[in-house]
Order: sequence, then structure tokens, then C-alpha cells
Amino acid sequence: MKKVAFLFIIALPSLLKAQGFQVSLQGQKQQAMAGAGAGLAQDGASLFYNPGAVSFLKQNSISLGVTPVISHGQYTDGPSSVVSETKSPVSYPFTGYAVLGNKNSKLKYGFAAYTPFGSTIDWQNDWTGRFVINHLQLFAVYLQPTVSYKISEKLGIGGGFIYSTGKVNLQRDIPVSNSEGGYGKAELDGRTSGYGFNAGIYYKPSSIFSLGLTYHSKVDMDVKKGKASFTVPASLEASFPSGNFSTSISLPKIITFGIGITPTSKLSIALDASVVGWNTFDTLRFDYEKNTSELADTKSPRNYKNAYAYRLGTQYTLNKKVDVRIGIKYLVSPIKDGYVSPDVPDATHFNYSAGVGYKLSSRLTADASFTFQRMKRSDTNFESQLSGTYKTNIYMPGFSLNYNF
Amino acid sequence: MKTKLFKATLYAGTAVLFLSSCKPEVDAPKPLKGSIDVTKYISIGNSITAGYADNALYYDAQIVSYPNLIAQQFKMIGGGNFIQPLVPPASVGIGSALNARYVLGLKTDCAGNTSLAPVYSAAYGDLNIFGTSVAANGPFNNMSVPGLKTTTTIYPGYGDYTRGVGNFNPFFTRMTTQPQSASILSDAMAQNPTFFSLSIGNDDVMSYALAGAAADVITPSEGPIGYGFSESFDLIVNTLTAAGAKGVIANIPNINSIPYFTTIPYNGLVLDEANAAGLSAAYAQLGISFHAGANGFIIEDGTAPGGLRQIKPEEMVLLSTPQDSLKCAGWGSLKPIPDQYVLTEDEAAQINEAVSAYNTKIKLVADAKGLAFADVNTFMNRVRTGIIYNGISMNAQFVSGGVFSLDGVHLTPIGNALLANEFIKAINSRYGSSIPQIDATKYKGVIFPF
Repeated sequence: MKKVAFLFIIALPSLLKAQGFQVSLQGQKQQAMAGAGAGLAQDGASLFYNPGAVSFLKQNSISLGVTPVISHGQYTDGPSSVVSETKSPVSYPFTGYAVLGNKNSKLKYGFAAYTPFGSTIDWQNDWTGRFVINHLQLFAVYLQPTVSYKISEKLGIGGGFIYSTGKVNLQRDIPVSNSEGGYGKAELDGRTSGYGFNAGIYYKPSSIFSLGLTYHSKVDMDVKKGKASFTVPASLEASFPSGNFSTSISLPKIITFGIGITPTSKLSIALDASVVGWNTFDTLRFDYEKNTSELADTKSPRNYKNAYAYRLGTQYTLNKKVDVRIGIKYLVSPIKDGYVSPDVPDATHFNYSAGVGYKLSSRLTADASFTFQRMKRSDTNFESQLSGTYKTNIYMPGFSLNYNF
Repeated sequence: MKTKLFKATLYAGTAVLFLSSCKPEVDAPKPLKGSIDVTKYISIGNSITAGYADNALYYDAQIVSYPNLIAQQFKMIGGGNFIQPLVPPASVGIGSALNARYVLGLKTDCAGNTSLAPVYSAAYGDLNIFGTSVAANGPFNNMSVPGLKTTTTIYPGYGDYTRGVGNFNPFFTRMTTQPQSASILSDAMAQNPTFFSLSIGNDDVMSYALAGAAADVITPSEGPIGYGFSESFDLIVNTLTAAGAKGVIANIPNINSIPYFTTIPYNGLVLDEANAAGLSAAYAQLGISFHAGANGFIIEDGTAPGGLRQIKPEEMVLLSTPQDSLKCAGWGSLKPIPDQYVLTEDEAAQINEAVSAYNTKIKLVADAKGLAFADVNTFMNRVRTGIIYNGISMNAQFVSGGVFSLDGVHLTPIGNALLANEFIKAINSRYGSSIPQIDATKYKGVIFPF
């Protein structure tokens, strides 16, 4: 009897929820304005949007916010018309910003802690793509100490160092059947860490116009000693040895140019354009410490292109206590046809946002926003041959409290 | 002011919760029946169509017979129940050698090595299957029996055991109310099918091929009705379509896509230097020499000097060859592998010629009658080179490939689901229907019990 050999292409997914879900859940004011903010110095969230603008902030502040991400995914298989859904778990990306400095100082210090993304995709158990992905959880926290310096009344620069730490958990079924009628399972679990920086220039030539240019460096998220566990019938255990694995994923660099327009003290408009450097993501590799003829290291071609995001947001001050905001974003997906997969059912899409700010006291303000994103994309993945239509509705209601002093 | 704020927050919160619960709309296309009426679907075929797998007819395999899977999809366009001559669910099944079904089990070979291999799930097959008529549960939509040939499909009294072994089919005896007079075709037609699938021709050549060309004969491609393939095939299709029924007919796969014929390599005789020298000396008179490494087996051939010779690369050693005899009893080296375990070049050529002739005829008839045509041969060829389905890699490797069951000829549940999809695609393309394919990931491959 020949040794039982398996063609086991563990075509692991890209961990790139970052793209689909990197909706810049940063600062409730900016979120309500579609995530535009590189060209405006609004509040502590400028630590993220443009460190150069931080030196232009009029007050010190501490701000805490959270934006639950509620996503409903759906996949309609093309050939069989069978509809599968995600279990719609909610994730809770948070933000914390502190900006400190003497009122008259040209130098400001800041510290930001935030989740650049935080998402879980969890497909229903028996869904047709379960041999591609069942469950993907990504969670990362960025810690960003920042300095910002006002070179002149018109020009500010700033930069922050980013330390990132996070975890990833990924599960899928293995197409070997056991006597109980179940399938084998693979689970990859690991911790990631990485470094990067965030820098920006802010230029305010007049009281009406302001401009911002920012550079978010790529952040490597390396998994050095992740744990790969395989649950298979005992007779196949030698073929699927549990052990360590390593992989590396880079969150791409983002360059953003933003324009702020403040025609009156009551109205401000923000317009941002970003290029997201996904084009360096051509292959996703997984290296298993123990290889067998059935469990080989994998190289999954991704061939992403750059993504582009265009954001337009506006804020209007209704009265002494209330601001209202609205925004629209258009995002061009980096995923080419043939590469869409159920871990990142990304599509070129619009998202819509609105929000309100309320001044509770002279020092305390509350901001809330609501963002809605809807995606639809049909594709045949050339690697898995999964062919169908993905639809995703994502709702992001957010809330923050800001203390100014 | 405070209450106003509170109210506003409450309203906004409720609105957000409500909005955020909206899932994407489902807009799967509605199945359309096109120009077919599937209220009475009858399937005619041989073992694969009957739901035979792991070398036996047993319940779990019958449930996933490809016509039954097709019939479940037909229900979306008005199809009726699909009744099969099921054997009892707990039965070990019965195969053509009165054997039980195969399962994967641990087998210790002559050299004392234990490995995972197909083993019979019981010492004997369930003879009650043949001893118990299920005709009262019929009539059956799945009019398929193991061993059915084109020529025997129209054979009256095909279930009459009084004709003696070899002249009747016990799989048919158990399912017909009139074993003495009915044929598969007459029992099928008595149900007035509105739609049929016909997958026939395989056993006209396969029983010969499976037996290493040492038993049975190939049905000649031409000859009188009941003797030749083409004439019998015409009669079957003409009868099925006489009342206007539409249907799908399938061609048959080449043997080189079937693991039964391809698993044991022709040069599976692996020798070290000393053994090679020893064998070369022993066979010196016949001019056969061996070298260290992989060598072609020695096979029986009555026409060769001494009645044996070395196998040629294009010849096939069958999966039925006893492994222990190869490993420990000197088969293929000291002794020739007996004829019934080998397809020689000539035999393989005859088989391929017949398959090719049948397939030409089948395509001609499909086109002439305007029937849907399921190109099973092309599909099996694709499986041979490897397919990927929704993230699952499959091929025609024995046991590990996922598509073929433990007998190396018939299919696993997922193999049947993929095959059923080939039929559905053919039907949709011919009749303008849009019957959804089967989600094949819901069906298993080979089961690993431990």
C-alpha cells in the first residue's frame, strides 16, 4: 500500500482585513467626515491624521473613543446558488489620544494608542468555502509617541514612532473526513509585533485654507513563532504535524494629501486623497517548521495593486453646543479580479458617514459618528476556484469623550 | 434640556442599532426549468449510477448516487421523488464477488509492516440483499444495476435466476416485479419518464478490463441488437425518446483516468544491485536483464517465449493484484504476474479502441436526438490531471485523491457530487434551464476511521 499522500495546499489568506476594514476609525469628528483630516487641525486625532497639525491645536486634550464594527458578510456561491453568511461578530476598535504642551510653546507632545484595524470574520460552520477560511481574527494595537513642532505661524511638522503589537488567529477545515462525519481542522495562532512611523507636514497659508501631507510608513507584522495545530484522524497525524509557523505581513505605507477649507468659523470642509501602497504585496508565504510531503510551505500569489481613497467631509456649527458633520468616501480596492477571497471580500466602494458633536461643558465634549459601508463583488478566485458573489454591510457607530484643558 | 439630550441620544441609539442589524439582501437567482419537464426522472446506468462504491452496493453510497443528487436539484424545478432500490442502512453491502464493502483499515502485510489500506468491513457481503426483493418499494427511478451493459439493458428476463449464474443479474432480480420477463428498459418505460439520464457502455468494456482481459468480452461496437453496442444503444435511446421525453446521455471514461489501472506502476520492481544481478542471471536465457532501481515487472504472456516477458511501459498492472504476492512471493520477479492482473499493450489497445468507438457513437446519438451530452470522459481526464474545487485539491490518486472510492473505480460522495454537476451543466446548456449545481463541499471523500 502506497503511503497516503495529500495534496494539501494551505492557501492561507492574506490577513488583509486591514484593507477592507481599515476605514480609519480614528477620531469621531474625522470619522463623521469620511475620515478626512490630513488638512485640518481639529483635535487630538491629528496625532493619527497629521502629526504636523498637532502643533496647531489650540488646547491640550485627552480623548477616548470606541467604534464598534458590526459587519454582516454574505457569499452566494455562483454554481450552486447556496448562500452562506458570516456570524457577524462585533469588534471594538478603540482610540486614545493625549496632546500636551505649554500653551505658547511651539512644541507639542502627544501619545496615541489605537487599533488600526480590529476585525473578526467568522463564516457559518458548514459554509462552502470552509476549506479556504472559517475564521480569521486580527487584532493589533499601535502605540505612537509623537512630537510636533510649529516652525512658523504657517507651517508645522510632526512625527511619531509606531510600535505595533497584535495577534492573529486563523482557522479552516482540511478536506479529510473522519468516521464521525467531520473534517480535519487547521488553526494558526500567533502574536505579531512590528515598527513604523507616522509623519506629516501642515501648512496654513491663510485663515481659510490649510494643507496637509502625511506619510504613514509600512508596518511589518511578523509572526515569528506562531502555533500551527492540525486536528486530523490519528492515521494522518504524521502528515500534518502540529508545530511552529512563521509569516510576515506588511501593512502598507499610506501617503495622504489633504486640503482644509474654513470659509467661516462655522463651516469647515476637508478633502483628502490617499494612495495605499499595496502593490508591494505580491505573495503571502507561510513557513512551517515541520514540513511533510503533505504540508509544504506555501506561497500564495496576491499581486495586489495600489489602493486609492478619496474622502470629502464637512462640519457645520449649529449653535454654541452642537456641531454636525457628514462625509463620503470612495475607495478603489487593491485586489485584482481573480484574487478576491472570503477572508477579504474587498471591493471598490463608497462609504457614508455622519456625526454630531456636543459640548457638555467648557472642557468636556462628546462626539458620535455613524459610518455605513456596503460592498458587493463577484469573482472567481484562481487559487481556490471559489466562484461567487460577496456582499458585505458594515456599520460603524462610534463615540468619544474629549477633555480639553 | 437634559431630557431633550437624553431623548435624542436614545432615539439615535435605537436608530443605529436598528440600522446596524441589516444584512445584505439575498439575491440568488431563481432556478429555471427551461424546456424540460423533470416530474418523472428515470436514470439508467451501471454500477456508478446505481450508487456502488468501495466495491459494494451499500446504503450510504446509494444515497449519494449521482442521479439521486441530480434529482435533489431537480426538485427546485418541479422534480418529483426519486426512489431507489435501497439496501438496509446498516448492511455491509454486497459486491460482485459477494464481498462486503471496503473501509480503510490497518493491514499487516507479509513482511510484517502494518499500514492503512482498504479492507473488507466484513468477511462476507450481505447475501440478504440478493435474497430479499425490494420490488414492492418500487417502481424505481434509479433503474441502474452493477454490471449492466448496453446489450443487457434490453434483455428480457434479466432478473431470472433460473437462467443460472452469468445469465441474470441478481441486482435486478431484487428490484423488479417481473424477474422472468422484464428488462431494465421495459421497467423504466413502464413509468413513462418525462426526463432520463443514460450512462451506459462502461461495463461493455469495463468488465473485460477489470478482469485483466482474462474474462468476459468487449461488446463489439457494431452488431445485431443485443449483441453490438451501436444498434443496442440506438434502440435504448429511441425507446426512451419515443414519447417525447428529453434527457442527458453520458460518454464513458478512458481507463487511463481510473486508479484501478494506474496505481501500481509498471516498473514497481525495485531492486538492489545484488538482486538485480541474480535476476539477470536467472533470466539470461530469455534475454531479460535487470538493474539496480526500478524495473519493469515480469508478466505472463502466452505468446512470449517461455510464456513470460518483461512488461512494457504502456502496459498496466491492476489494483486487484495481491500485494503480498508482489512483495513476498516473488510475483513480477521470480514468477510472472498472472494474466488476469495485467493489461498488455494489445489488450489495452482493444479497450481504448472500444471506448473511443462507443464515445463517438454516443456523441453522434446525442447530437442527432438533440439530447444533452455529459462529457464524463473529459471530466475524468480533468480529475486525472488534478482539479481544485472551492479550495479542495483533488485528483485521481488512489485513496488520497479524494474522488475515487476504495475500489479505485467507483466514486466517493464528493466524486459523485462533482459528476452530478457535469450532468447538470450539460442539461442547463442544452435545455436553457438554470438548475443550481450541487455544493460538493457538503460531500465527503475517503473516510479515515482513525
